[in-house]
Amino acid sequence: MSLDINIKFNEDDSIWVVYPKGEIDIYTSPELKEVLTEALNEKNGDILIDGYNLDYIDSTGLGALISILKRVREKENKVYLTNIKPNIRKLFDITELDKVFIFKE
Amino acid sequence: MKKDTINITIPSKPDYISVVRLTSSAIASNMGLNIEEIEDIKVSIAEACINAIDKSNQINVQFEIEKDKLIMKVDNVYQAKDDDTNQNKELELGILIIKSLMDKVNFSEKGVEMIKYIEDGNK
Repeated sequence: MSLDINIKFNEDDSIWVVYPKGEIDIYTSPELKEVLTEALNEKNGDILIDGYNLDYIDSTGLGALISILKRVREKENKVYLTNIKPNIRKLFDITELDKVFIFKE
Repeated sequence: MKKDTINITIPSKPDYISVVRLTSSAIASNMGLNIEEIEDIKVSIAEACINAIDKSNQINVQFEIEKDKLIMKVDNVYQAKDDDTNQNKELELGILIIKSLMDKVNFSEKGVEMIKYIEDGNK
């Protein structure tokens, strides 16, 4: 039940690269939403979430990502996901959110 | 037929859902379920608790361990109402996840009952 979020802006590609480590659950998802919202307030751009160290997500975490996606789309930017573990990918498939987020291999 | 029952009551706060999740994992592991099945159970029980949160001061969870199945009951879990608020959208996702991951899901006035069958019946 903990989440560390590392985030940095890649000037070359104009994209926020986000490294969440741990679990995005009902306890931590407000924090993720806050961090991403602050980042977008500072600078608009695409978002890439690298799930290499992400172990778990629940429906509130998915909800947080959806609200960020809506915000990003207002500026016609995109949200990409990469290195997502199979147990987490499964939830995106079930909820058909695999169709609205862009998975990068 | 032998049936063991475990009851857990947690305060209705996000902080304690992980306690139920970890307990479900230990129970499922004890029953000989595989890693993917254990993961399904952890995710489902957490989604049920998320649904139940704020509906009462506490969340009641019951595990019934049988030879061929695990039954998990959580009080105050209901299917989402038909409106388009963000919170409701999340509840819908949670219910969809539970229905996809568990073998059988029954809703009643009291709450939800989720069943995972043990295919080889090993214990």
